[in-house]
Amino acid sequence: MFTFAIRRILGAIPTLFALITISFFIMRVAPGGPFSTNRKLTEAVLANLNKAYHLDEPLWMQFGRYLWGLAQFDFGPSMKYRDYSVTELIVQGLPVSLEVGFWAMLLATMIGIALGIAGALRRNGATDFTAGVVAMVGIAVPTFVIGPLLQTLFGLQLGWLPVAGWDGSWLAKIQPILVLALPNIAYISRLTRGSMIESLRTNYVRTARAKGIGAQRVIWKHALTGAMLPVIAYLGPATAITVTGSVVIEQIYGIPGIGRYFVEGASNRDYPLVMGVTILYGGIVILANIVTDVLRGVIDPKVSYE
Amino acid sequence: MRHLSARGLGKSLLSAAIVAATLAISPASAEVVLNRGFGASPDTLDPHINFGAREGWIQDDMYEGFVAYDTKGNIVPGAAEKWEVSDDGLTWTFHLRDGLKWSNGDPLVAQDFVNAVIRQLEPKTASPRAYYFYSTMQIVGAADFNAKEGGDPTTVGVTAPDDRTVVIKLINPFPNMLYLMGSYYVPPLHKPSFDKFGGDFIKPENIVNNGAYKMSEMVPQSHVTLVKNENYWGAADVKIDKVVYVVTEDDQTELKRYKADELHTTNEVPSDQLDALKGELGDQLRITTYVESQYLSFNITKAPFDNIKVRQAIALGIDRQVLQDKILKAGYQVNCGYSPPNDPRYPQPQVPECSGTQAERSEKGKALLAEAGFGPDNPLTLTIDTTTDNTAKKQSEGIALMLKQNLGVNAKVNAQEFQAWMDTFYAGSWEVLNDNLVGDMPGPESHLSYMRPSAESGYSWKSDEYESLMDQAAAEADIAKRYATLAAAEKVLLDYYLVTPLNVTTSRHLVKPSVKGWDDNMLDVHPTKLITLE
Repeated sequence: MFTFAIRRILGAIPTLFALITISFFIMRVAPGGPFSTNRKLTEAVLANLNKAYHLDEPLWMQFGRYLWGLAQFDFGPSMKYRDYSVTELIVQGLPVSLEVGFWAMLLATMIGIALGIAGALRRNGATDFTAGVVAMVGIAVPTFVIGPLLQTLFGLQLGWLPVAGWDGSWLAKIQPILVLALPNIAYISRLTRGSMIESLRTNYVRTARAKGIGAQRVIWKHALTGAMLPVIAYLGPATAITVTGSVVIEQIYGIPGIGRYFVEGASNRDYPLVMGVTILYGGIVILANIVTDVLRGVIDPKVSYE
Repeated sequence: MRHLSARGLGKSLLSAAIVAATLAISPASAEVVLNRGFGASPDTLDPHINFGAREGWIQDDMYEGFVAYDTKGNIVPGAAEKWEVSDDGLTWTFHLRDGLKWSNGDPLVAQDFVNAVIRQLEPKTASPRAYYFYSTMQIVGAADFNAKEGGDPTTVGVTAPDDRTVVIKLINPFPNMLYLMGSYYVPPLHKPSFDKFGGDFIKPENIVNNGAYKMSEMVPQSHVTLVKNENYWGAADVKIDKVVYVVTEDDQTELKRYKADELHTTNEVPSDQLDALKGELGDQLRITTYVESQYLSFNITKAPFDNIKVRQAIALGIDRQVLQDKILKAGYQVNCGYSPPNDPRYPQPQVPECSGTQAERSEKGKALLAEAGFGPDNPLTLTIDTTTDNTAKKQSEGIALMLKQNLGVNAKVNAQEFQAWMDTFYAGSWEVLNDNLVGDMPGPESHLSYMRPSAESGYSWKSDEYESLMDQAAAEADIAKRYATLAAAEKVLLDYYLVTPLNVTTSRHLVKPSVKGWDDNMLDVHPTKLITLE
């Protein structure tokens, strides 16, 4: 298992390099530049800006410069947020995104799996029906609708929670975590329900029952283990997406995470910022996939590390 | 499993929240805190690099230039107690107050202001605002110093003959000079901290500044907190102890936070809710005209827009009042000239498209189109390029509709992201542009300077008459004569139909009744030091 993980990590290096190269050049093809302003800057001012950020050099030289910086873990300066380097922005924002994302995923996994199992065990019962409705709402209603609704309800009407803001208090964290968790609860519960129903019909579960193993043990040990495989496969990329922040949630709730940099960096043509978050995201996705694969090997004896 | 149902969990979370909310009694404190909605996170708070108006609010709290603003946006003495200008209008002398100090107690001297101008002009600072010093006001030696690295700072016409005097020498007189002498343009530089920390001198742990407030916290995408600077000369009159600029990217959330009393003032008001909010919140809603004008520009290098009759016809086809009142509903004001009409001393020329009824204008417009060879059988088709900004898009679509109804013109709207829109403009591949410009100060001058073909080549306009009138105006120290010449220049621009004016935009805020000292003004400046909370 250990050599498998190492092999996968080494295999990720060319993937990451391809990601860096492609993003770097695609970003430059986009129209405009970081210093496009409605009011045209004078030649001298523009020349000074381009020089300061080495944008006056040929593209291959800029790419070389960027790779050289990366080798020293330097993501370069942000062209939009000039008081910060990209590393500083990520270091300040990532823990916040991680925190919100972690709790949201934990909540989603717990509730989602619980609802899924309950639904599978008592199919078409009241719990299954409720879980189905929650899932449909979670999937169908986007976060930018749910968020403002909850803000109005809890922040304005009831006054229990702050409308938005990030002051370190856990009260401020409840709404964003809930909203971020909701669509994941929906997906996870549906996935769990489906694969659990399938798993309960498999031969090995029937065999286990035939051997006289207790009903609880059959459900928790035999059926659930098998049913978890698709859920784990989903959890890997979903966690990567969730912990790198959500631009919608961050804007609605005023959360200082890094999710918004994916969108803002791109629309402002802040090249180093886009590169920084893209590489980070790519790295986390690769890592999450490796963890998922390792976990699948642990759960499913049919999966081989070779 | 039943214990973990969503309903059960939701219930327990809610009850926990209620308990916590009841327990969280805010500590009694005499500290007066003002929470100001700020909009998107500040780009930079480096006072010599910042190019944003909103960031200018924070800068105005943290720094003081030679002059400052009162609550109405009028110019009052700041770090300088008095100033004088020579008869030829070319030499300005500012006399600093006695005993000025930096926030760390260091004495503030005239050279600190000189250093600020030099830093903004130095090529390695790469400040987007350097041009203010040689394009807007024309300081001796500034352009050359900014254009080439390694220049000699003593060649720039800003000097400090003694610790309390700054002398600025200009190439051309500039009567509105004082508007560019506030904290936004000449925030002094504390050289020891800049030499030590470089660009990081602006971080809260390093900052040394001279305004009424100093920074205590700066969290990107969250907030900037300023606390009272006891070393400020006017500290005794400053009533707010702490001001928090809260990042509020989403204007709907900002509105809710305002209603939930989490904010005292907002940066924006959702424009589609202005009518409803007027009824609900009354005079908490503040709408003031701003130094920005919006207009349509025509690409005169592209047929048929090289024909002035076509441009004139389009100008006639727009009902400006209906556009503002029925379509945009953002509180904008109809503008009949190119520059925003905000200086009563300026005799702004008016376009004829602003008079008469729309029926008369449409009639005239159709006749002009017919002369240019367009009619019902051969309708004019055109594309209006706009940014994806909601109001801009709505405006373009409204105009397209009017052109169809009033003139039978088939107009299409092409909305693009800002950067792509700019590229379209400079590539010259557009026909009609939904265009705008924000001025630096009241009066027509920043708008008209921008339209000089020598300053902005993107319009491919050539006019010796306009250039020579602008040169004449620039050399004129008497404001009445200067404005008369500028008005003549504006008339040349309008008569050519390079642009057709649409409106002047507004700044929109919500201000709690408890906030005093926040007066509406067209520069949209509201220094915290003048605000009190009741």
